[in-house]
Amino acid sequence: MSAVTRAPRKGTGRRALGLLLELALPAALLIGYGLWSHRAQSFYFPPLGEILEYFGELWLFDRVGSDLVPSLLRMLAGYAVSVVLGVALGLLLGMSRLLRTAAEPVVEFLRALPAPALIPFALLMFGAGDGSKVFVIVLGALWPILLNTIDGVRGVDTQQLDMARSYRIPLAARIAHIILPGASPRIFAGMRTSLAIAIILMVVSEMVASSNGLGYFVLEQQRSFAIPEMWTGIILLGVLGYVLNWLFLRVERRVLAWHRGARGLSAETATPAPSTPSSTEKTDA
Amino acid sequence: MLEVANLRKVYGPDPHAAPAVADLTFTVADREFVCILGSSGCGKTTMLRCLSGLIPSTSGHISLRGKPVTGPPDDMAFVFQDYSRSLLPWMTVRRNVAFPLRYKGVDRREAEALTDEALDAVGLAGRGDRYPWQLSGGMQQRVAIARALAYRPSILLMDEPFASVDAQTRSGLEDLLLGVWERYGITVLFVTHDIDEAVYLADRVLVLRPPANVGHEVTVNLPRGRDQVETKAHPEFGRLRGELFAALDGGPVAA
Repeated sequence: MSAVTRAPRKGTGRRALGLLLELALPAALLIGYGLWSHRAQSFYFPPLGEILEYFGELWLFDRVGSDLVPSLLRMLAGYAVSVVLGVALGLLLGMSRLLRTAAEPVVEFLRALPAPALIPFALLMFGAGDGSKVFVIVLGALWPILLNTIDGVRGVDTQQLDMARSYRIPLAARIAHIILPGASPRIFAGMRTSLAIAIILMVVSEMVASSNGLGYFVLEQQRSFAIPEMWTGIILLGVLGYVLNWLFLRVERRVLAWHRGARGLSAETATPAPSTPSSTEKTDA
Repeated sequence: MLEVANLRKVYGPDPHAAPAVADLTFTVADREFVCILGSSGCGKTTMLRCLSGLIPSTSGHISLRGKPVTGPPDDMAFVFQDYSRSLLPWMTVRRNVAFPLRYKGVDRREAEALTDEALDAVGLAGRGDRYPWQLSGGMQQRVAIARALAYRPSILLMDEPFASVDAQTRSGLEDLLLGVWERYGITVLFVTHDIDEAVYLADRVLVLRPPANVGHEVTVNLPRGRDQVETKAHPEFGRLRGELFAALDGGPVAA
């Protein structure tokens, strides 16, 4: 979108210090583990060097195509379906009180179901392939998006809607240019929660009746007592979650730049409007 | 231009409940500047929402240029009191102003021209690429006015548009509005609770008493080309002010 003027950047010195602080704790933990594991000779906690060695062997790039890519595709497919379905249903339910009342018990019931409980059913329905995994991911990741979209849509400023009606703006344009943008901060909040859920369900679904994927990999290594290999899978999952969340935040920052701007300015510089009659005016209606 | 006859609005299903607007009758002539003056809670906002077609009236008749108003009419624009809530914070100033034009059947080129002209008319020519929240309150309300002007309405409804800005900005906005009213040759129906503002702006002031009906009406015979200092120092200004004050108070009206 268009450039929003940013607050002037802090000095490079401060940025460097911030980066240093962010890196310090992970580095200390790694070094601490490295030193400890080297001497501990524990079967369950192999030396750091060994894990890293296996990591390079396995994930650069031997098993990327066979395990990482299938996992990612399942997760992204499930996440994409959750976003589209959640936003579309959320719009419908948010805009219609009738539909909302009718759908609420069902939504609350389905939401309360732990998605992994449906893995056996998903296997029956969709077989052991990607379909059942995507299904389970959607079943868990849909709800935060759906519920947040409903709240976001209901929270859209009535005056903006009145404005749109007074200018006779058609419904489709009202949805696209007022309701969706107005609800977008909430939609993004839901999407962020769902992203984490999607990763969890990806792993869980791959641990049951699967022949590849990261979840399958971790479980298989544990079963064959290949402990350093198992750890590489766990580390990769952590890195994956971290990177995906980071990417998500970058997109969110761009898309919701107006939101931070509007909120930031009103919090910092807004002089309280000189005793507007708005509070009393409410009774005027 | 605008004719309102026996307008009545009752909220809720019970038609015998206390009405918010009762037996309201008035007309506004073409290119006239009419102020509706009323204290809080007298039904001003309800009246405006009926006139703008945003809510249906319970009974009575509204017509704009001879056509009955059943929904928002296509040659009417509405400026709300709370500019910060009627502008869209995710759109730049330009896009806010141009937004309604897209759905009015105006082609892109003409929309650009109308937007430029309207922004220029409210003195925001260089601010089109800003976001509303990067502007002061007064400027934001000017954006809302520009949006209304670009729409090229024949009548502008304004609901206490300057009530949320400081006094200094307010006189500036009043003069700006008078300027564009003359320049665009439009009709303005302006709701306010401020007597001075009503007298300063209007050709005619209607005093609303709860439940909204016209309790009193005065014609403002002050010369046009009004000036914040000169006009307000005019003896007639003081007289009208006194008369409206009394009328608003519900006390005896000195003619």
